[in-house]
Amino acid sequence: MDEITNEMTDKMRPKKKMNKKTVASIKAYLFLAPFLLVFITMVIYPIALGVKLSLYGQRGARMWYIGFQNFATIFQDPRFWESFRIPLFLLTVQVPLMLFFALIIAFFYEKMEKHGGKLYRFIYYLPHTIPAIVTGIVWSYIFSDSMSPFRPVLDILGFSGAKILARSNLPLILLVIILWAFTGYTAFIIYSSLIAIPKAFSEQAQLDGATFWQIAFKIKMPLLKGVLITLFIFNAIGAIQVFNEPWMLEQLVILPSNYTPAMYIYNSAFAQGRFTYAAAMGLILALITFLISLYVLRNATKQILTGETQELP
Amino acid sequence: MRKHILTRLILLILAVYFIFPFYWLIIGTTKNVSQLFQKSLLPGIPNNFLENVRGIFTYQNGVFFQWLANSFLYAGLGAFIAIFIACMAGYAFRRYDFYGKKVLFVLVLGFAMVPIYATTLPLFMLFRDLKLIDTKFAVLLPSFVHVFSVYLMVAYWNQVPEEIFDAAQIDGANDLLIFFKIGLPNIIPGFITLFMLAFVGIWNNFFLPLVVINSRVNMPLVLGITTITDPQGFPVYNLTLTSSFFTILPLLIMFIVLQKYFRPQLYTGR
Repeated sequence: MDEITNEMTDKMRPKKKMNKKTVASIKAYLFLAPFLLVFITMVIYPIALGVKLSLYGQRGARMWYIGFQNFATIFQDPRFWESFRIPLFLLTVQVPLMLFFALIIAFFYEKMEKHGGKLYRFIYYLPHTIPAIVTGIVWSYIFSDSMSPFRPVLDILGFSGAKILARSNLPLILLVIILWAFTGYTAFIIYSSLIAIPKAFSEQAQLDGATFWQIAFKIKMPLLKGVLITLFIFNAIGAIQVFNEPWMLEQLVILPSNYTPAMYIYNSAFAQGRFTYAAAMGLILALITFLISLYVLRNATKQILTGETQELP
Repeated sequence: MRKHILTRLILLILAVYFIFPFYWLIIGTTKNVSQLFQKSLLPGIPNNFLENVRGIFTYQNGVFFQWLANSFLYAGLGAFIAIFIACMAGYAFRRYDFYGKKVLFVLVLGFAMVPIYATTLPLFMLFRDLKLIDTKFAVLLPSFVHVFSVYLMVAYWNQVPEEIFDAAQIDGANDLLIFFKIGLPNIIPGFITLFMLAFVGIWNNFFLPLVVINSRVNMPLVLGITTITDPQGFPVYNLTLTSSFFTILPLLIMFIVLQKYFRPQLYTGR
């Protein structure tokens, strides 16, 4: 009798389990439904539509299928590749510089924890809360030759002929603006990881007489590798997509329509009406972004799916 | 001790760099155009602040208030719905072992970093076909998706201990009740944190309204203030600066009032 029931339950178990999973799936998808609805209509569908558009030629309202012709044209369009000059400059100069400064500042925060560290964290973070467009307005006015408080200083120093807001100075100006906007945020993120490092790591070194900065760079920095790489990737993506700051600067300096990739996409679509060509460029930008972000995505997926609780600052 | 002084000095110099544009903006709101052109670092004499405020409040029959209301609508409603939706999705990932879980999660994250410069143009075409261009829906609907919040919500839900759900289930509570009565109260701090981040993100989003909105009555502040001109079409610097100040003021107030909930996240974006 016992054997029979055992056999029965054994046979029934897989079926029962399946049923349970089916029920769970129904419930899960009910909870997921609102998200999936907006996700599919506002993210997936536009991408699919973008793919479709990119395969079409266009003149005015007329569109016709041309296969990969747009992409072939883009690869030979020097204006598209030129638009990566500013992102490349930001990637090679601004991002490493900012990560370095932010790392030092994060160590300062830690060092000054009992001496006003919190206030500095707050002040340095402020620029990140305001819209990039306001950042662009304020800084472009500060650097404009008619309003700049630096102008009188330059005049006294004998540079009265040199314009501040000239095309050739723009990369430097963008550097100042973007460092201003993002360094405090970046330092805060690094600091959040920094205080999560168990004290035990540095205690022994401290007993051995290591200084604050020796501990910081030799022991703590290697432990911050993950967050630094992730920040680098996010900033690389930000550099490729820069739009708002040059857009505002454009009100005061004449810029070419392809000053950055995002500006070239916008101008191609809305100034020149080349929608399908712009859609194809948008896809290339999306693909580059996706490839850059693979490392982060892989880690994030691993973290959540293995149930490992992520440290939330 | 001497080292501390050096550290303080460096932090102070950096603080000047981070504060300076705020200071310059605030003194800028006290000046008229000719005072701005004097390039002084002191407030305008006479003080033109009230004059400038009157200027933006009466500009184009008070369209400024419409922009302000729009910004609150887009950011408030958009962020609330986006985070509520993300909260439900996060709950599903936390609680259930369902078909396609892994695939869906990877898919969602994979699309988290799609640049708006790739999606906004097709959205423009879609909204044009649906006759939604230049309506409030054109800004609201895309704001309802905040993909990274789903990811962060899963992380928040993962911190809620399993026993809490089990106990409720044994008591016979159904899943919806567990979500609202048992789950949500545990998630509130995370909810507020993500709501604030999404609110700021939508408030500051310039590109989407730039593409989908043409009429001034539907513009949010960030777009509206860039359109301020005199009747001849020339920029009016003092009014642009003063309205910039009022664009960031609500954010600064929220930031200070809700400080304890404000936790910057590594994963932002849409």
